[in-house]
Amino acid sequence: MAKIEFKNVGHCYDVSAENKVYALNPFSLTWEDGGRYALLGPSGCGKTTMLNIMSGLITPSDGNVYFDENDITNVITEERNIAQVFQFPVIYNTMTVFDNLAFPLRCRKFDEDKIKTKVHEVAELLNLTEFLNKLTKKLTADQKQLISLGRGLVREDVAAVLMDEPLTVIDPDLKFKLRRKLKEINAKYKTTLIYVTHDQNEAMTFADNIIVMNEGNVVQIGTPKELFEKPKTTFVGYFIGSPAMNIYPCDAVSDDEVSIGGLKLKVNTKLPDSQKSNLKLGIRSEYINVVNKKSENTVEANINLVEDFGNYKLISATNDNIQIKVKVKRESVIPEDKILLEIPPEHCCIYNNEELVE
Amino acid sequence: MKTLYTTLKYSAVTLWSMFVIAPFLWAISTSFKDFNSVTSGVSYIPWLQFEPSFEGWKVLTKPASEGGINIVEPYFNSIFVTLISSLISIILGTLAAYALSRFTFKAGFVKNSDITFFFISQRIMPPIVLSIPFFLMLGYLSLLDTLMGLVMVYIVLLMPIAVWIMVDFFNKVPREIDETALIDGCNPYQAFYKVVLPNSIPGLIVAGMFCIIFGWIDFFFAFILTFTEVQLLPVAIVALNSSITPWWSLSAAALVSVAPLIVVAFIVERYLSKGNLSGAIK
Repeated sequence: MAKIEFKNVGHCYDVSAENKVYALNPFSLTWEDGGRYALLGPSGCGKTTMLNIMSGLITPSDGNVYFDENDITNVITEERNIAQVFQFPVIYNTMTVFDNLAFPLRCRKFDEDKIKTKVHEVAELLNLTEFLNKLTKKLTADQKQLISLGRGLVREDVAAVLMDEPLTVIDPDLKFKLRRKLKEINAKYKTTLIYVTHDQNEAMTFADNIIVMNEGNVVQIGTPKELFEKPKTTFVGYFIGSPAMNIYPCDAVSDDEVSIGGLKLKVNTKLPDSQKSNLKLGIRSEYINVVNKKSENTVEANINLVEDFGNYKLISATNDNIQIKVKVKRESVIPEDKILLEIPPEHCCIYNNEELVE
Repeated sequence: MKTLYTTLKYSAVTLWSMFVIAPFLWAISTSFKDFNSVTSGVSYIPWLQFEPSFEGWKVLTKPASEGGINIVEPYFNSIFVTLISSLISIILGTLAAYALSRFTFKAGFVKNSDITFFFISQRIMPPIVLSIPFFLMLGYLSLLDTLMGLVMVYIVLLMPIAVWIMVDFFNKVPREIDETALIDGCNPYQAFYKVVLPNSIPGLIVAGMFCIIFGWIDFFFAFILTFTEVQLLPVAIVALNSSITPWWSLSAAALVSVAPLIVVAFIVERYLSKGNLSGAIK
């Protein structure tokens, strides 16, 4: 186990090209020992590149990687002591389940007694004990993925277990159980887990720190709460949360008031003096309240559509040309056509140049 | 409907089997004939239609001094040359194919696919193009009319087949398997022989079979690169022919020469149908 540190790490696949295109723009980041991290971002944002740099399958074109202060940038994969689970289960078909699980230990020349104890322990943990002597070919996709995972967990001293969308092939029901199991493992063995996903729910429920990435950049690092309440960029606002954050172009009217079209709204943010126009206001649909009385920061809107999602209802309404999405409890009574909405100033986020004004 | 389908299916299979097996039956029948039985009209069943004779078979083992044409030595020569050259071709070809499948080579405009094509192009050329260079090269090395010379030539001819089949096969073995092996602590060589190779057995068998077949049936190079000392089976069989075509001994020789291929086919058939790789990923 180790603290993993990226110092100005970036990667460009074709270094000789005239205009270098970075799959991952240089950044610095520390992954604490024993942490549970999720890398979240749309496809092609550099998540997998980052994982591969960590496991050594890719040597970064820029910067250095440290495991516990040791520079391992040029250390080859097999000497890094890292475990990686891929999106699709990768198993050694010609071996039994036991041999599959024992493989990483045999490669590292552990003695057979130790291997046996360890394999049985991991098999127990993942409910694979009854299959130990079977050939892997006969197993189902999720059992195979458990084996992939098991090979990562069988080594105690592993620096980190990297998972690249490991639960894609697994049934939703089992997915939930496995995620919980991973949390248990993390709690019990203090193994650093790094989990790549493009599913925000997965990231939110799994990790205590989420790293949001977009187009090769690390956009925001934070707890699920931080990402939800104070998205650092409009991208995070769009990407995290369902539905996406309501975001409107606005201009500053005074130092605590903005106007969206003709609509004036108070905000709690101190607006920048230098930039008065081309700002954006973001508000989560969860924070908008349906009210009966007009007061400050209320907006009257026409209801276009009410969608029932079972546990909540989503109202789409318009005021002039402004589309507002509001999430309300499923039992709330929603008027026929017009609705009065309150936009709480403390939940409004102001973005200048797509970045949060704090 | 189902019975009709089954009937049609079995009829088709029966017809095809008859078509395939007919030349064998004809050869077996002919190999037990002598001059008289061959020339005295159509006959198939020994004892009933003609008196069987073992002359065709005996000739094959008799030395030339007793009027026979001995194919025992050419037979073993052929086995030796085919097996050794196939084995070396498979080993070298598999290594080359793995490299071509996994690593990126670049020399000017030459890329992996060009190198692979270079290998295959050796087989696209008509063999006659190669005959003079081979003849001269073996001449310089004093390897004309030797088994060693033939083994070398056959490696050149068979390795492209092995490379071609194995590149295709390795491309289908997911790269993640190698990467996982590296992460699990193998070095690249261990990843290759502990993980990738066991997964590639069906491919190795196909490549091996093709090498054996192409090595075994070659007449052209065996004919021009040997004279008196060394003879391979196809050449020996052709040498059986004379002004009066000895159909009986030619048939017997043809049967013994295809026998090894049939045995090989029976042995490897079950490995081929197993589809070992399915399910390595996904």
